[in-house]
Amino acid sequence: MIDPFKKMLVYLDGSEDSVSAAMAAIALAKRLDATLTAIYVVNTRALKDLVKARIFLDSEELEYRRDIEGDAKRYLRHVQELGAQKGVEVIPVKTSGTVHTEVRNYLQENHIDLLVLGGISEIHSRRDELLSETDRMMRTAPCPVLVVRDNDAVWEMFETLPNVKPEAAHDTY
Amino acid sequence: MTLTDVLEKDLVKVPLQATTKSAIIEELVDILVRSRHKYNRDDILAAVLAREALGSTGLSDGVAVPHAKTSAVDAIEVVMGITPTPIDFDAQDGKGSQFFFLVLAPEKESGAYIEVLVSIARATVSPVMRRLLASARSADEVLRLFID
Repeated sequence: MIDPFKKMLVYLDGSEDSVSAAMAAIALAKRLDATLTAIYVVNTRALKDLVKARIFLDSEELEYRRDIEGDAKRYLRHVQELGAQKGVEVIPVKTSGTVHTEVRNYLQENHIDLLVLGGISEIHSRRDELLSETDRMMRTAPCPVLVVRDNDAVWEMFETLPNVKPEAAHDTY
Repeated sequence: MTLTDVLEKDLVKVPLQATTKSAIIEELVDILVRSRHKYNRDDILAAVLAREALGSTGLSDGVAVPHAKTSAVDAIEVVMGITPTPIDFDAQDGKGSQFFFLVLAPEKESGAYIEVLVSIARATVSPVMRRLLASARSADEVLRLFID
């Protein structure tokens, strides 16, 4: 039987849910012997929209862009450490632009065969559905999508994998 | 994260009582502090006023979004209020403001903070939505408009 997934991508957005998705992706990549890339998109489209709407001053745009760039590095490093702990190399990718467009382009250009997402929040209105980046990613991905709920099963799945190096600090990202 | 993830009934007030810019900001902060006793009113007010001093958050078409990133809160908080008539909030279009969204975020939640601000900007860009908000008479009605 051919392994179903060989190239996986997990999307990080700085939320706990996305870190849980990364933990599930690491466990799955380990079992399937698949390559795993983690992507963090600095949402510069949103920042530009806020400046255009004049909610943000130019100085705020710069300040928040720096913040999010810092978050991206921190979360990508954390997920790399989680992967290393379980013997899975996680390839970090930081990009910027419109989130769902960047993710879709990466999936296509790199022939990814599974997208792993966390952070699917409750949809309260049709407007939410239209605005949710994760929802757009699900709808526009050219490959299968795995949505991971943040629950104990994910932690158990991750923790039961044998460690190959000392445990990374869980609260340092 | 969008506006509807964080907007709660007890953080929506219709109508707001205040009639000046500074009083509106204080009223919005008071609504939050009454609902979340753990927060310090003066710290939050200082953060919002410091941001306001850099440039008015009175936008156009009656919408104002006073906001701040501050360690005075530990989660993203949104307070929404509507005045019966437009008031002077130093808006960029020179018109009065009627729809107020106070948005606060802790230092480490820039990503979600930006998403909430974007969702407010997109929700209020519609003239129909603003007309419906202007005719809302209760917090329930306002919440329904954002949720429906």
